[in-house]
This record gives sequence, structure tokens and C-alpha cells, in this order.
Amino acid sequence: MQPRVKLGLLQRTYIPEVLIGLIITARHFFVNLRNHTLRLMGSRSVQPGAVTIQYPEERRPLSPRLRSLHRLTKREDGAPRCVACLMCETVCPARCIYIVPKENPDPHIEKMPARFDIDLGRCVFCGFCVEACPEDAIRMDTGILQFSASSRKDMIYTMDQLLAHKPASSQ
Amino acid sequence: MPTLTIDGIEVTVPDKTNLIEAAKMVGAEIPHYCYHPGLSVAGNCRMCLVEIEKAPKLAIGCFTPCQEGMVVHTSTEKVLQARKDVLEFLLINHPLDCPVCDQAGECWLQIYYMKHGQYESRMMEDKIKKHKKATAIGPTVTLDQERCILCARCVRFCDEISKTSELGIFNRGNHAELDVFPGKELNNKYSGNVVDICPVGALTDRDFRFQCRVWYLDTQDSICPGCSRGCNIQVHYNLDRPHHAEGRRVLRLKPRFNPEVNKYWICDEGRYGYKFIDDESRILMPQVMRNGGMEFVSWDEALKASAEKIKASIPEELGVLASPQLTNEELYLIRKLFVEELGATQVEFRVPPKEEGYSDDYLVKADKNPNTKGAEEIGLAVGSAEEILKAAAEKKLSALVIFVHNLVNSGLDDSLVKAALEGVETLIFIGSNFSDTSEKANVILPSATYAEKSGTFANSEGRVQRIHEAVPPLGESLPEWQILNELARALGLDWDYQGTEHIFAELAKDVPAFANLTYEILGDQGQTLGYVPPAEEEALVEHGELEAVRAT
Amino acid sequence: MWVDIGITVFNVLVAGLFVLSLAGLLTWVERKQSAVMQDRIGANRADLFGWDPKLLRPIRRLGLFHPIADGLKMFLKEDYIPPEANKLLFSLAPFLSLFCGLIAFAVIPFCDKFQVWGKTVSVQVASLDIGVLYIFAALSMGIYGVFLAGYTSKNNWAYLGALRASALMLSSEIAIGVSIIGVVMLYGSMEIGDIVRAQQAGPHDLLFGFLPKWGIVMQPLGFLLFLTAGIAATKRIPFDMPEGESEIIGYFVEYSGMKFGMFMMTDFVETIVVAGLTAALFLGGWHIPYFYPAHTGGWITVLQVLVFMLKVCFLCWFMVLVRWTLPRFRYDQAMRLGWMGLFPLAIANIVVTGIMIVMSNG
Repeated sequence: MQPRVKLGLLQRTYIPEVLIGLIITARHFFVNLRNHTLRLMGSRSVQPGAVTIQYPEERRPLSPRLRSLHRLTKREDGAPRCVACLMCETVCPARCIYIVPKENPDPHIEKMPARFDIDLGRCVFCGFCVEACPEDAIRMDTGILQFSASSRKDMIYTMDQLLAHKPASSQ
Repeated sequence: MPTLTIDGIEVTVPDKTNLIEAAKMVGAEIPHYCYHPGLSVAGNCRMCLVEIEKAPKLAIGCFTPCQEGMVVHTSTEKVLQARKDVLEFLLINHPLDCPVCDQAGECWLQIYYMKHGQYESRMMEDKIKKHKKATAIGPTVTLDQERCILCARCVRFCDEISKTSELGIFNRGNHAELDVFPGKELNNKYSGNVVDICPVGALTDRDFRFQCRVWYLDTQDSICPGCSRGCNIQVHYNLDRPHHAEGRRVLRLKPRFNPEVNKYWICDEGRYGYKFIDDESRILMPQVMRNGGMEFVSWDEALKASAEKIKASIPEELGVLASPQLTNEELYLIRKLFVEELGATQVEFRVPPKEEGYSDDYLVKADKNPNTKGAEEIGLAVGSAEEILKAAAEKKLSALVIFVHNLVNSGLDDSLVKAALEGVETLIFIGSNFSDTSEKANVILPSATYAEKSGTFANSEGRVQRIHEAVPPLGESLPEWQILNELARALGLDWDYQGTEHIFAELAKDVPAFANLTYEILGDQGQTLGYVPPAEEEALVEHGELEAVRAT
Repeated sequence: MWVDIGITVFNVLVAGLFVLSLAGLLTWVERKQSAVMQDRIGANRADLFGWDPKLLRPIRRLGLFHPIADGLKMFLKEDYIPPEANKLLFSLAPFLSLFCGLIAFAVIPFCDKFQVWGKTVSVQVASLDIGVLYIFAALSMGIYGVFLAGYTSKNNWAYLGALRASALMLSSEIAIGVSIIGVVMLYGSMEIGDIVRAQQAGPHDLLFGFLPKWGIVMQPLGFLLFLTAGIAATKRIPFDMPEGESEIIGYFVEYSGMKFGMFMMTDFVETIVVAGLTAALFLGGWHIPYFYPAHTGGWITVLQVLVFMLKVCFLCWFMVLVRWTLPRFRYDQAMRLGWMGLFPLAIANIVVTGIMIVMSNG
């Protein structure tokens, strides 16, 4: 641990440090105010007065590794790839995945989900489900970041919804 | 009694002990697939290879009996390499379908691969596909030939234990596969055991299929209540993830080893007899007849209503039908409350079954109650059920308390039962599930099933064994001993039993047959009635009085 | 008679509207100033239900609809009273708070006395001889609103907030009071108009020949103490322990709707009151440096009012700057600052001022 810095009398009055702080913030204020004003008046050569991004209009590109809303992948015939092995449900630290298995008509696949719900109100987007999946049946590459619902129940995404999601690269 | 050295530890073992069992005694684990202590030795999996000094080759642990002066090594480099190689052979054609396999999590291929395998796969060829992928070979068992490692435990089980010989291994070499004999199906009374002994996912339980992953299950030791054999079981339950198996909590029963009772096995009747625990017919709330209909009420109200009715009846007008499905503790409380405190004379627990139950010469008993012996010893067989019902039918009873029994579907005369149930003024039913009898009741008090309470059962041989609470009582139901405790308090008695151990201590003092028994002495394997502690036993032997004590 | 009433009503309207509209505007200033200080843009989304004509677009982009939206939101929100709370006191608290803040402005003059219709008047609601004491009283009464709010909410956090608010108020009010005494001693009056006039001494009476005798010049320590204690009295960062958004949320945690709005308003009103007082006591009130009009009234008075308002606005800006620059004090630090810093220094200030006065007279 760093030893505590012994403060001098002047520092203990706070006054010089407070003044320095006020000068810094005031400088930001006036410089940014000037830049805002100049840009409002049409000058493009000055720096913008703010570094923020106006979200819905301006968007930053998504990283290909970004974990976004889940999707369930499909087999060639459109059936879910998921075999309801419950690895994702087991590994999920938020316990937000609810899978109910059923018999698959194809005896070589044996098992398939009758129900595959993700409670996005609980999901922490850790991506463990994607890591755990032995069938590459669940991915988090839809690029969907905005989703909301007006009830907790609506935050639970069902298998049909998850199967309908498309990867971000396809859009 | 040969003495040998295993991994540097000297141990003396009984004659004919094999190396696997001897190694267990010194705490060394020799992995094995085909060997099962309850079956004959086959020696075909080659997994249990160990190194014996002065022997030219590695020897299999299961088929090598211990001999004087043997020096055995279970984890030399040679042995470890041999295990790895055997595992590689076994896994050559084993499909990698662990995600869909119900055995995953309790599969010995998985366990031993993680412990002794961990090799890089060298297999270039395609895996051989077998004929049967997940096929039902009987009412209880699914066979997946691809997963089979041909250890033949199940074949030996059907030959030696159930003696029905439905299973066999057909063809040779790469084509060898396990199957039922043509035209047969695996439908003997013990068929579920082949699932337990199958070390891999070749034989899986149809009842448990896709219900739950095994690592979600918790276990609790218990006793099968299916018959008076009192087989030791484990209750496997899932409380954390209620969306599985339609919310059922108890998902399967597994046999628990007890050399005195059931060895490694249980019958199918007991194995699949757990369904009533989470059945829709469970009684969840106390109910009291009011204005001609049953109303849900609180426990306080229901107990108050019952206590009023019981108080209003004189001892001769009070009938009690206890049940051999109840634990000793509960039966003792019934005796104490109704016989000793209230002076009731019309007390009985035996109700004849409609038809003689199935029994065989191995495990299954005809008496389908787990605690008939205990109820007899506690002394609840005062009259007979028929007499009590006759008295009720003749309107000589003002209150009749029925525990658990469904009289309507019993060996008693139907018209007598009907007359009795309608003739009695107040019918108090204490049980876990609705039945034709509970429908006639004026007061229904919901009780817990055996998986939801603790206590003891005494089997037909007088072995007292403990059951433990695995899951909490469903709804508002309570264990019978708690209901009795509360009922006694509602009747103005100063009862305050905090747990079944408390009751059992009192029972051991009051009932001679239970003398000397405590929960600690019962342990997880039980102890017989009339138990004499070893120290006392020695003293008695010295005086030559043991036989006399045993006779009482 | 009617003229008197008319003049009073006019003064009340000017003072009241000035304070209230500035308070409303301060919510916008706070948002935008903090944004500009922090390299952000700040609130710029509210519009008229999606109606966005080109003409009004600058207003929208400046976020000027936000104060309106705020007000609308406050009015439309459910006015929730906790079932355990004392309804009367719970409802009274925000009114008491805001009322005490507002009436403090009554004795602060906007301009010098001038003649109109044969009467000597000033834009000042009440020219009280005990103006300074009145301000102490009004500011001290504000604590009742805050304490009642926390005490009657039946919420432990609110109660903690109320306790902290009372402790903070005590330590800051005493420092305010004691630090003004130097000013009172120096200018020899308790009427704020007189104090301002005393700072406005003529061209021949400049300190060292060039400095106007404003409070900030004559009482630099007093000014510093007063401003610090004044900021503490507004209960805003860096002295926001009664609220402590990040921990206890504070005495108004159970309030919603306009009642909460009134508490928020009180903070801003108190900011303006402290700014007004500082302007009057230390920055020469309506006084324009080196400008000595021969007479008052007419455009001179209008100029004085504007100058005074400008000083108040500057101080408000400065206080928002402070609020968005400094981190907050911990509770014990604020207490130590109040009792072991501001208070003894203010006492010392009185002693030094007294010695100086005696020395300059003798």
C-alpha cells in the first residue's frame, strides 16, 4: 500500500487545490463553449465541443466478437440443431436458460428441445452457453443490442423467437 | 486368511477375496467395468489389470484371488499404460453422444477416461454403427447397442439374479452386440437393476429417459415403502430446476447396498413406486366439511375442528385405523395419544388387501406395507378393522380417524365399508393422497409421504431402518408425527416433540422390542429388534443368558 | 396607500419571478453546464411530442424543452405518500422547505433607493433593519422542512438523511452567521441595502486608491467562509450528505411527483439566495465599479437591477462549477470542516476585523 501523503498546511486548507480544479473545469467549459458556438455557426475546422456519440443516429461498428442477443442455429431441414443436452443450462451462471427435452423422431439424434427459453431479464451475457454447446446450436452473434419488454414475462424468449434470429453478418 | 501387500500396505483378507476387493480395503481403487461384487466374475473388460511381483504379465484384479505373500502394485507406470490402452480399445467404437446420453455424469467411461485415459485419439476409421440405437427392449429399459462395451454385467444379472435369461451377447468380434433373445423382451420383476449395473449408457431407464440430467439430482438415503422387505434405497430428487419432469421433485429411486436386506438390488415394483409423491392426487391443504361441502382451511382451524370432534366422543365411541405405512415414531404417538391419553379401545392398523400381493423367494414380499412388524410390536393391533367398521356402520362410533388407508379398495366387504364411512358422524382422514376414502371424510389433514419425513420402518425380519426427509412436504402437508403432536396440543395436552429422534428415544424406552436402539445404532444399515449392545452381549454370553434374552 | 401596495406587489413579483424563473433555468444550466464542462453535449432530446419544426429546432438542440418536460413529469407522476407516514407533516415538509428558501430573498435589494411619485422606493420586498438576522432566520427555518421530510417518511434512509441534514445545517448556518458579522461590523448596519450602499463609497474613498470597498476586498476571509458555508447550506455537492445519491438517497427518498420537485426546486432557490446574498454582501450588490451616478431612478436603476442580476447569475454559474468540479465530502469530513475549520476561522475573522476597525478609528 502506498503510504499516505502528508499534506502541508496550504493543501489542508483545500483552497489552492480547489482553485486548480475549478480552473481546469472552467477552461473545459469555455473552450468547449467556444467550439460548440463556432460549429453551430457553421465552422467545420474547429474540434467538436463534445466527444460523445449521439446514439440512435450515430452508431459505432460492432466488434465481430461482441456478445449480443442469442440465436439458435438450425439444421439443413430447419429443425433446431439443439439436442437438449442441457450443457448451457448447466453452465449458465444466471440460470436463465430453461430447456425441456423430448424425443427426436430421428433415432440417431435422439433428443431435441420441446421448450428452449432464455430469460433475458436474468441473462448476464457471459457467453458461457455458446462456449459449452457441443453442437454449435446457440450463438450470440445477432448484433441485436436493443430489446426490451413491458413485462418480465415478455423478456423470456422462446425457442421460436430464438430460431428466428439471424446472424448480424447476414444483414 | 491370506496376508498380502498391496501398494506397500500389508492386509489380511478372508479366503477367496479377489484383488479388487482387497485393494478397496487398503484404499486403493482398481478401475473395472465387467466386475460387479453382486455377480459372478467374467473377466472380459481387462480394465482391472494390476502388476503382481514375480508374475510374468499383468493380471486382472477381479479374477485373481488373494494369496499368501502376494505383492501387488495397482498404479505402476505399466498398469497405468495398460489401463489407458484398454480404455482406448473400449472407446474405439463408442459414439460421442454424451450430450444426449442419460448416463452422462454417472458413466464409468467418462469417469475413467478423465482419471486414467486422457489420450489423443488415434482412430482414423469411421466408428461402427450397430443395429439398435435407443430401442426399448422391455417395459423399463432402453438399449443402445453402440454405447455397449460388452461387459455382460446385465447378461449375468439376468442369468444369476433374476434367473430369467432374456439377454445375451450375439455375434463375434466387431459384430458382437448385446440384445434380447429373439421373441423375448426384458420384462422380469427386477429388470430395472440392469440399468444400475450398466457402467455405460447402453441400458438406460425408460422411466427416467430425458427427465433430468443426473448432475441436477440430489440424493437422500431412505427405505422402500413398497413391501415389508424394507429394501435400502436412495431417493434422487431435483428441487432447484422445477421446469424439468413437469415439476416432479422425486425423479428416481436407486438401490442402496445393504448385505442384510437387499444386497445391490431392488424390484421394479419398488423402483417405480415413487410416483405418488408428486402426483396430482396429493392433498395440499387441510379441509373441513362446512355447510355440506369441503372447504380449505388453515391448519389451526382444521386441528381445532378435529380436536372438538374427538373431545366430544367418549373413548368407546372413538375408532382409530392406524396404518403400517406409518413410521414407528408415528405409530407410537398414535398409541400414546389415542390409547393412553384418550383411552380409545377401537384401535387397529391391519386392513386386509383386496388380493394377495405378488411375492417371490428373492426380495418381493406379499405384505405391501413397510412397517407391519413395527406396528405389531408397538401394540396397535387391539381389535380388528372389521369390528371397528361394524361398530361404525351400527352408528356406535361418533368419530373415526383413518390414517392413509383406502378402505374402499381393500379386502374388506365393500358394503360394510360404505355403511361404516357413511354411518360414522365424524370421519377424520389423515393421508397424503386423495382416495375414495378421503372423499367421504369430514376432516382431511394432509400428511407427508415417506420421502418428505424422517423416521424408522421395521421390516418383516424385524430390522429397524431409518428413512430421511429428501424433499420438503408438498403444499401445506406435514409429517404425521407433527400432525399428531399438534392435534395433541389442540386437545389440551402438553406435547412438544421437536423431531423424530426425540420420539424414537421415548419409543425405545417404552416398547421392549425397541430397547437399546437409537438412531446412531441404526446408522444407515439398520439394526434388528431386540438388539443387545456388544458390551452387554459379552456379559450375557459369560452368564449363558443370551439365548434367554433373545427369546424375549 | 394604493401606490404603496402597488409598489410592494411589483417588488414581490419581480423578486419572486426572478428567483423562480432562475431556479427553473438553473435545472437547464446545471445539465448543460456540466455537459460542456465534461466534453459532453447534454440533454437535447425533449421535443413537443415529436413535433419538431425547423424554427424550434435550436431550442430542442439546446435542451430548453427539458425544464418543461421535467415540470410536466413532476406534475403527472403519482403523488405517493407512504402508508406509515404522517400525512400532514409529510405533505407540509416540501412547502416549508421551499417557502423558507423563497422568503429569504425578500430583504435583498435589486437596486438603490430612488424617487417615484414622491416616494422613496427600491426594488426590494422588505427593507428590514434587521435584514441580516431575518436571513439567518429564514435559512435556519429551512431545516424544518428537510427534517420533517426525513422524520415523517418512516424510512430509515430518509431518517438518516434528515439527521445528516440537521447536523450539516447547524454547522453551516453558524459559520454563515459568524462570517457575516465581520461584514456587519465593517459597514455598521444590518439592513442589506445599507450594507450595499456602504460598499459603494465614493471615488475618493477607494482602498489603496484603486479598489472599491466591496466585501470581498475588505473581508476576503469572510467571503471565502461565507461562500463555503453557503454552498453547504444548499445541501448540494460537495456537501450533499443529506442526499448522498450513491448511498442513502436522503431525506426525500419517499417523495415523488411535485413534492419531490419542490425539494429539488428548494436546492436551486437556496443556491440563488446564497448567490444573491453573496452578491449583496460581498460583491457590492447593484454597484458598478468606478461608476458613480449622481442620481438614481430611470435608466440608472434599470442598469443597477441588471448588474445585480448579472452578479447573481455569475455566482450561480460559479456554484454550479463548484458542484461539478469537487467530489463530495464524507460526513465526518464535512462536520470537521464546519466545526473545526469554518467556525473558528469566522471567529478569528471577527476578532481581526474588530482590531482593524479599532486601529483605523484610533
